[in-house]
Amino acid sequence: MIALLKADFSQVDHFPAREYRLANGLTLIHQQVPASPAVMVDVWVKAGAIAELEAWSGMAHFLEHMIFKGTGRLPPGKFDQIIENRGGLTNAATSHDYAHYYINTAASDLSDTLPCLAELLINAAIPDEEFALEREVVLEEIRQSQDDPDGLGFQALMETIYQRHPYGRPVLGSPEALMALSPQEMRCFHRAHYQPENMTVVVVGDVAWESALELVDQSFNFTLPAVCPKPEILAEPPLTQIRRQELCLPRLEQARLMMAWTGPGVEDIRSAYGLDLLSVLLAGGRTARLVRELREERQLVQDIGGGFSLQRHSSLFTLTAWLEPQYLAQVEAIIGDRLSELAAVPVSEVELNRYKRLLCNDYAFSTETASQIAGLYGYYNTIAQAHLAIRYPEVIQSFQPEELRQLASQYLSPLRYAATVLIPEG
Amino acid sequence: MPVKHSVAHLLQNRTVHRAVLENGIVVLAVENPAADIVAGRIFIQAGSRYESPEQAGLSHLMASVITKGTDRLSSQEIAEQVESVGASLGADAASDYCLMSLKTVSADFAEMLELMAEVMRSPAFPEAEVELERRLTLQGIRSMQEQPFAVANSQLRQTLYQNHPYALPSLGTEETAAKLTQADLQRYHQTYFRPDNLVFSIVGRIASEEAIALVDRFFGDWQPPQQENGQPVPLSIPHTPTLASHPERVVTVQDTQQAIVMLGYLAVAVDSPDHMALKLLNTYLGNGLSSRLFVELREKRGLAYEVSAFYPTRADVSHFVAYMGTAPDNAAIALDGLRHEVDRLRTTPLTAEELQSAKNKLLGQYALGKQTNAQIAQIFGWYETLGLGIAFDEQFQQQVADVTVETAQAVAERYFVEPYVSLVGSEKAVELAAAAI
Repeated sequence: MIALLKADFSQVDHFPAREYRLANGLTLIHQQVPASPAVMVDVWVKAGAIAELEAWSGMAHFLEHMIFKGTGRLPPGKFDQIIENRGGLTNAATSHDYAHYYINTAASDLSDTLPCLAELLINAAIPDEEFALEREVVLEEIRQSQDDPDGLGFQALMETIYQRHPYGRPVLGSPEALMALSPQEMRCFHRAHYQPENMTVVVVGDVAWESALELVDQSFNFTLPAVCPKPEILAEPPLTQIRRQELCLPRLEQARLMMAWTGPGVEDIRSAYGLDLLSVLLAGGRTARLVRELREERQLVQDIGGGFSLQRHSSLFTLTAWLEPQYLAQVEAIIGDRLSELAAVPVSEVELNRYKRLLCNDYAFSTETASQIAGLYGYYNTIAQAHLAIRYPEVIQSFQPEELRQLASQYLSPLRYAATVLIPEG
Repeated sequence: MPVKHSVAHLLQNRTVHRAVLENGIVVLAVENPAADIVAGRIFIQAGSRYESPEQAGLSHLMASVITKGTDRLSSQEIAEQVESVGASLGADAASDYCLMSLKTVSADFAEMLELMAEVMRSPAFPEAEVELERRLTLQGIRSMQEQPFAVANSQLRQTLYQNHPYALPSLGTEETAAKLTQADLQRYHQTYFRPDNLVFSIVGRIASEEAIALVDRFFGDWQPPQQENGQPVPLSIPHTPTLASHPERVVTVQDTQQAIVMLGYLAVAVDSPDHMALKLLNTYLGNGLSSRLFVELREKRGLAYEVSAFYPTRADVSHFVAYMGTAPDNAAIALDGLRHEVDRLRTTPLTAEELQSAKNKLLGQYALGKQTNAQIAQIFGWYETLGLGIAFDEQFQQQVADVTVETAQAVAERYFVEPYVSLVGSEKAVELAAAAI
């Protein structure tokens, strides 16, 4: 088997995993972790919501559900039994840049379980009757998301900041769009995107390279791709002002102020990491600037948190405050002032070092288990390259105050951002 | 030598050292060199179970304020020390214990444990911090109303547990939390934070002997409070009422997109011989993509996205819950469906194969839940705190193996007689459900 494979990646310095492209174009990333109680097999597919035509909104996520509905050889439910009856776990998730599917299983079960996962992913049957039934489940998932004010507010914020790029579309889609989808269209989407060059298989755990390679090579046998219309992805023009949206919600016990800025995507990963550092400096703990001032000292908010997510085309920087409605304007103004300050005055070394250390330790804490490591490599390989993942601590350590000041000035403008405000109805 | 005794147990290829210091502190230490991380979990025998109904939320408020000032350090100074080494140091209150937790890279562990000693031994509970956290707690209690699942779960627990302390949410109620004072927190701390009431569980890249020695260094001279005769003040024991099942239906009308439908049953404490059979029934019924509720109500009928069951491990009487979220139109069907599946456990024995699968699943997930140092520290510390001892980690396997098809059915018959029902949903959902059994 191994003779059929061609290695076309050079080993990158210090990258503890091995990365190979199989003859059919599928990427395999493997890392042996001795003494790990289970093996994580995590398959990442570049077929998230941004791969959808606008009219097919919700397709990628709905397909993720339908993958579990079996193939000609595995009837619906059989796969779940095969994994779980052996004490393993399986699940999947879909976002804009990816869909991923994993099994977490004993090393000794791998030869029984991994081929089934490959079978599901490649030969999903998407039967008509299961399609109609599972659509009801997705509609329930949408209903559930509508009962969650924070999720609802976040989606509104995304639609406000990404008006052209598909990152603004809800991953779950809309009930109307889902009702208009056909199983035939889904089969087409599936056969077009679930192809080897779009997929990364990550195997991490107490399993040797040779066994992992042989198993993956034998299990992932692709059929020819279908032709399926691909969307044109429009770049999001830079914000030129504050885009504000207010939502009145029933059953809301306190207001939310959600603010968002976009930053560079993976093409400028260094700047994106700089924004990550600024995010924790502002709202990543009790000593962070905004938490200290707004929650602890002036006591204007119930809580305030920051989010940073690295996406393929554009990273996203968010701040969310939970507060009484009468403080909304004041808190938004203070946040604006603090951002101006960040763009004008370099942070002190002491403060910077604290958050560098925090992020580097967070990185260590979030790469403790086989499943965390597999997720990290899979994610990076889907939006960029896996080996970039492990450079994170080193890049974070290299930031100087002046560069961060420039990044704040360039990306975190108090005059150009999106804001979604949730206020209690009545 | 203040370490009274220390024993090494070999459990599933892991050596757990158990030491008891002279002042009564129990230390469990596991060396795991895999990652450069040390996790510490310190269990205090306290928590909601020890609260009087008038003071519900006391444990939670104490946990929110304890890290916010000592005799020497302010809240910000503590946070700076922790965050400057990228560590985490926190406090929590659960039903059966309070928990202090710590996570650091190995090199910083000793320094952070020393800080933890100061936080635990001489907290100041500053008035301003008590006031701030109390206000935030009250807001948190109101915010729970935003989550239909939380509303359904909370009203179910109240009706199941009546005047038992498990009845109330850990935050307390608006009424009780509003009345809590600095003096209440100080009294709570004095009562329960004493060396003979603590279990330290430390796992990571640190030799067990060193972990034990560090606990001794920072906590070894801490003495339990004494009576006039020189004897330690006796440890407080919770007096909880006996519970009898009087199933009823509780309803909250909210204009939600989904109705939440829950069935609840009083169950047993972890030391009951029926405990493991209930764990297995819970796994079989509601755990994972191949569970009966998932297959019957989601896969075959498309009634729900989330449908599940839970049976928490408790020192005192636990509860068994099956629930789902569904469209208002389906509320009655959902209720009937859940009821039918639970009743089927009583009327129809599981096949040997079904039971075996549930056993594999329970044991497999148990193993998968013990991967990080923090997870391992949590499990061992918790078992010790519940009085089961670290050997329970192995007895668990045997107890699971011992459950038969017959005992599973007998246990189902005993506990799943008549459910409490909790419903949250629109007028329409509630009306429809009223017509169901």
